[in-house]
This record gives sequence, structure tokens and C-alpha cells, in this order.
Amino acid sequence: MPPTTSIKKVLNTKTLKKSRQSNTRVEDGDDLEEWKKSKQLLRPKDQLELSEGELKDIIARQLGTNDPLIPHNLVQFNYAQGGFELMPPAGPMIVVYEAQGTQVHKESEEAKKQVVEQGLDPAILEISQSTETLAVEEPIPVIPEEVIEEVAAEESEKPEEETEAEEGEGEGEGEGEGEGEGEGESIRPEDDEDKPQTGGKPKKLTNQFNFCERAALTYNNPMRTQETQTIPPPMGTFSANVLQWIIYDAYQEDFEAQQLEKELERERKEKEKAPVSRHQAMAKKLVGKAHQLSEAVQGRVLECWKVLERMVNQNTFDDIAKDYRYWEDPSDEFRDEEGTLLPLWKFHYDKTRKNTVTDIEWNPHYYDLFAVCFGFLDFMKPLEEGAVCLFTLKNPSFPDYICMTDSAVMCVDTHPKYPYMVVIGLYDGSVSVYNVQATCKQPAFRSNNVTNKHRGIVWEVKWAPDLPDGEMNFYSVSEDGKINNWVLMQNDLAVTTIITLFLAKDEVFGPDGTKLKVKGCASCVKFHPKQPLIYLVGTEEGHIYKCSTAYSSMFLLTYEAHHMPVYRIDFNRYNSDIFISCSGDWRIKIWEDNRLEPLFVFDVGACVGDVKWAPYSSTVFAAVTSEGKVYVFDLNVNKYKPICVQAIVSKRRNKLTRISFNPKLPIIIVGDDKGCVQTLKLSPNLRIPCKAPKKQQHLDQWTLQCMKLDKLLSLVREPGALDLPEDTAESIES
Amino acid sequence: MSNEVEETMKRIQSHKGVIGTIVVNSEGIPIKTTLDNTTTVQYAGLISSLADKARSVVRDLDPSNDLTFLRIRSKKHEIMVAPDKEFILIVVQSPTD
Repeated sequence: MPPTTSIKKVLNTKTLKKSRQSNTRVEDGDDLEEWKKSKQLLRPKDQLELSEGELKDIIARQLGTNDPLIPHNLVQFNYAQGGFELMPPAGPMIVVYEAQGTQVHKESEEAKKQVVEQGLDPAILEISQSTETLAVEEPIPVIPEEVIEEVAAEESEKPEEETEAEEGEGEGEGEGEGEGEGEGESIRPEDDEDKPQTGGKPKKLTNQFNFCERAALTYNNPMRTQETQTIPPPMGTFSANVLQWIIYDAYQEDFEAQQLEKELERERKEKEKAPVSRHQAMAKKLVGKAHQLSEAVQGRVLECWKVLERMVNQNTFDDIAKDYRYWEDPSDEFRDEEGTLLPLWKFHYDKTRKNTVTDIEWNPHYYDLFAVCFGFLDFMKPLEEGAVCLFTLKNPSFPDYICMTDSAVMCVDTHPKYPYMVVIGLYDGSVSVYNVQATCKQPAFRSNNVTNKHRGIVWEVKWAPDLPDGEMNFYSVSEDGKINNWVLMQNDLAVTTIITLFLAKDEVFGPDGTKLKVKGCASCVKFHPKQPLIYLVGTEEGHIYKCSTAYSSMFLLTYEAHHMPVYRIDFNRYNSDIFISCSGDWRIKIWEDNRLEPLFVFDVGACVGDVKWAPYSSTVFAAVTSEGKVYVFDLNVNKYKPICVQAIVSKRRNKLTRISFNPKLPIIIVGDDKGCVQTLKLSPNLRIPCKAPKKQQHLDQWTLQCMKLDKLLSLVREPGALDLPEDTAESIES
Repeated sequence: MSNEVEETMKRIQSHKGVIGTIVVNSEGIPIKTTLDNTTTVQYAGLISSLADKARSVVRDLDPSNDLTFLRIRSKKHEIMVAPDKEFILIVVQSPTD
């Protein structure tokens, strides 16, 4: 190997140089020693003592091939044999650099084989190889020429081979361009297998260390944008206001739902406890509810219609309504001690136009409501039907409640505690109780069997104070002379006769010779306002009996009051000892309790149908006559004459039958025999309030009214003590 | 009950000065009327919205309160309205004649 030889040479030269240098050093050392001889040289003690000759003896140094540093006895443990083995001594070679090349010497077997096998570009290969070798090995300049010759020779063969190769490749092309540059190398396994078959076919050697990066690029799908639009969902505009009350309602609903939930829960629990099937009951309940609901709506519709009717009436009778509210007759100031009556609405009901108003009564609870009885008083022309109607001032055109009856209604009374309980007395002697709140179509109670009724016209009915156990009861007064007490039981009326009126006469002989006890015929009754047992009964004979419910066989007192039937008795509102009576003998009389002679007697020149004390004054009363006139008296103003006489209906055709003061308002209602009820407003002169004397300003109206009456009575009584009392007054009047 | 309602309605119609009565159901559809078709529809629509508004006013002032009746007085007429949840009753009257 050339490098080794060169190193040897270098080594040789080095050794030579060394030897020379060592020589010179020795010489130099002599000089130094000479120079230093004067000085004592320090030597180590163990230094060999050499002689001159020994010192001058030249020790030749030989360079040999043996390296004394190389160990000859290196061993290595062999695990297989389980012992140490002597290792071959390492050569004297030192590897400074080692690089493995890919070059092959062209003359080597391998190279030749290669050239034969890869006939494609042997020349290039050779050239590159040769250039490389040239760079390394200088002493081979001749080789390229040979190579060129070889290349030339090989190139001459090449065309044929190439065409073949190309044909082969042409076949391969179909398999894909993707292989790209790897084409030339033909790494396909087919080709490797083909090699032995083709034999001399030049082929590139596969380079197993070459790796081929094969990448495949798939087609990129072209970008595409596809848009679709769905059918837009239906749009709706929703708008709502959220107001305070909507929120309130929502909460309310929620609360109700919660309550319902609780109730259902409770019911469920109950059901679990008692496993009786209540399903049917529930279903019934539900159906009932739906029914009730529609019923309730119907009821509300009716209510609304009624109110609307009132509105319509208010518009229609606007002027009357204003008069009723605001008209105060200004001319009263100039008319001394006289007043007028202002007609307001007229009330009538088409179906009862033929009937006579037999009784009218204000409702004790609703100041604008009053009951009107439609019957008849002309007994030569009896009527089959009657009615009791409840009118309100707010609807003059139609009654609020209508109770039609199959007999003429002669009297009515409304319960003071239960203003919907109305009792009526009928022409046929029976009595009925209506609950107008429930229904007007049929009475709640009725006494219509043969035994349980009066044997004559019921002239007056009156509610009595409730019994101790709360049962309602009323009294009825009839033509047959009996006063009955009726108690409202569960389903029927229980009757007790309080008294049978009798006349203080002996028995008379009847037409067939039998003896008859003559009975009194009651025509009106009035209970004492303060003593519930005491009552006054007016009879057709003209007597007034003071009776007590405790005694059924005797009268407490008998007033020989009138010569014709007594039509009405009324207690004074302020002094219950004073009462008034009116009769068909044209007279109105004022009585004091336990005084058989009247205090006042007024003759009005016609049959007096009704008389009533005013609720607002102790000295005012009003009466109606069959001549169609209303008389208003104020004893405090004029003891002899009425302060107002006014014809309300035409004298010839109509009669006035009944009168009633409104308990609150300054109006009266009068009924006539043509089924019409007239409302009248009292002018200011007819309702003068009491003025308190200067010294007693603190007194209220009630006390003042009582004082006024007492003062008046004391004036009247004085002559009574002189035994010439009312005769004067009576004579004056008559 | 319905008989009574009918009667009351007829009676109101027979009153002096009453031009017409309309019953409107909860959906604002007139179900009974004595006026001609176009007038009825107009009244029903306008009055029901007005009644709603009026109720809203009353309820807004006090949620526990409620509107019961409504009277509209104009130069020529008076319109009386009974607004309910289930129905509206309208009466038109000319009070001066």
C-alpha cells in the first residue's frame, strides 16, 4: 500500500534528524558544562557514575519493524468455551481515516460484471470513476484511454439495447406516470425477475440503499358552491302589551291553578283512603259545572240587559230624573202654608192594566224598590188573574220582578230582614210567600188546600218578628173574621188562628131558623211598633179592636171608630200612642191609645182609601180618596185644613186606592184602580223640618219632632179634660 | 232564562229613541243585531276594541278593579255598552228627539 510506504519514509527521515539533533545536543551540553564548571553541579545521588569512555560511547539507535509497544499477550474471554483465548496481536497499522467508497476498480471482476449488466451508461460511469481515481491515484493516466475505447465499443452496441429498453419501458408506461423519475431505475419487482430471462439485457443495479419517495397526488375535487333556500316558515306578527293588570291576572291565574292542584291532591288522598268509586260523581260534577257556567253567562247577560234598560230609561226620562233629584218648587216660598205635588214617573204593567192597585209598599231595604199588588175592588166585575210586581224607580217602564197569580192579589208585605221574602194575600183566601230572589214563577210557600185557608178575602198580611228558633212567620187578616198566624216550616205553612172576631151582639136567627153567631169582618190590621203582642184590627163594621195575641177570646179595647169599613190604621212613627184611621165614611180620624174619642177628625168628602203618617215628620200624614185626590195634612201648620189637595187622576174615571211614603226620599207613590202607580214629589212646604229653639240647639230632629207632636197633643187634650173635646173640631170639619 | 233575555232585548228595542241593539260574542263577532249588516260590523269592531282599551285603563289603575259599563255620549247618540269577558252588549239610543 502506498500510504504505508510513505509513512515509513517519513519515519526514517525523522529518526535521522533525531540522531543528528541528539548529537548536537551532546555537543552543546559539553559547552555548557565547560561554562558551568566553576559552579557546583547538583546531581541526584542515584545517578550512574559513568566513565569518560562510557559517556562518549555512541549508542546507535536502530529503527525496526517491531513495535515494542504492541502487546503480544492480549487475551479475551470466550463465553462459548468458558476460557480465555489469546487474541491475535494487533498489527502495527494505525487507522487514521477510513471511508468506504462506492467505487469499484474497473478491472475487478465486479466492475466488469457491472459494466456488462448496466450497459446503459457504462462510459459515464467509467469516466466519473476514472476522474475520481485520477484525483486520488496519480500514477494511472493511461487508464482513461482504455476506458474511452471501451465506452466507444459499448456505445456502438448501445442503440440496439436502448431501443429494446425503450420498448420495455413503453410497456411499463401504461402503469402510471406517478412513478415519475424512478422510471429509469426500474425498481419494479417484475423487472428484477425479468433480468435472468433477458440474459444479457443491460440493467441498472438496484441500489438497495436508495430509497424512493413515492408520492401520489389525487385529483383535487374542484370547489363547488351549492346554495339552497328553504321555504321560509310562516311569519306572524305578534304584538301584546304587558300592563300591570295583565301581570296581576297572570299571578292570579297561577294562584288559582295552585289552589286547584292542592284541592286535587287532597281529593286524591281522600280517594285513596276511601276506595269507593267516585268517578261518576266527578263526571257529573264536571257536566254540572259546564252547565252552570253557561247558566251563569246567561244570568250575566240578563243582568247586563237589565242595567242597559235602566240606562235607556234614564235617557228617556231624563227630565223626570232631574226633577226627581233637583226640582224644589220655588213658588212654595210665596205660597204660605201650602205645598204641591210634582208628578214624576208612572208605573204600569201591560198585563195588569185592568187590575186595581190593591196595595203598595216600599221595600224596607232598597229605597228605590216597591211592591205593587194588582187585584180588584169592584166586586161586581171580578177578575181571574192578579199579580204582584216589584218596580224600581230606576226602571219606570217595566217591573223588575213579576209574580203572576191565578187569583187577585189584595195585600203584600216584605220581610224587613229578608227583603226578598214577599208574602201576599189573595182574593180566594189563600196566602203565598214568594222568594223573588230564587224565582218569581211559583211561590215558595202556598196555602191552597181546602182546610188551610181563609174563607174570605185576605185584606192584610204582616210579617211578624221571627220566632225564637228563627222561623219566619206572618199574620193574615181576612174577611171571615179570623186572624191567622202562619209559620214557614220546611215545606209548608203551619197555621194557627189567633182570634176570631165577634160582635157584641146576641145570636141571630138565620133564614132557616138556626142561630148564628155574627162574626166581625176584619178589613185591616196594624201591629203596635213597640209592643209586639198588641195589635189593632179594623173591621167592615167600622170598629177598631185593640187585641193581644195572648188572648183569643176578648178585645182589650173597642173603638167605635167609623160607620163604614175601616180601610187603614197607621201608628205614628214618633209616638206609638197615636194612630190614624181612615174609612169609607169619608173621614180620617186620629186616635190616642186608651181614649175612646178621636183627637182629630177630618172629613174629605170622599171615600178615603188609604192614609199614612209621613216618616219624616210627626205631624204630617197623607190620604187618597176615591175622587182621585191626594190630601196632605200637617197638623203643626193647620189643624183644620189640608195643606195640599191635588187631583192626580181624573175624577170621573179613576179612583185612588193606596198611598205610601218613601222612607228616605221626599216622594210618595199612589195607586189607582187602573193598574197605574204614580210617583209624586213633595214640595218643600210639605216637608218642613223642625227648627230647634234657640235655647236647645243641640237637640236632634227626632226629639224635636216628638216635642212638636206632644205640644200639639197637649193643646188638643186640654179641651178633652173639659169634656168638650173633639166635637168642636169635628163640627168645624164637618 | 234565555226566554227572559230575549224578552228584555225586545223590550229595550221597543223603547223610545232606541236605534239598535247588538250582541257581540267574546271573539268580537256580532251574533244578534237589530241594525243593518255594515253598521253592526262597524259598531262591533270599534266598540269591542274601545271596551278593551277602557278595561285596560281601569285595570291598570287598580288591577283588582274592573270595568262594568260604558256610556258614550255623542251629539247625536248615546252608545251604552255592557262589556263582559264572554260578550258585549251594545245599545244605541238617540236621547233627544
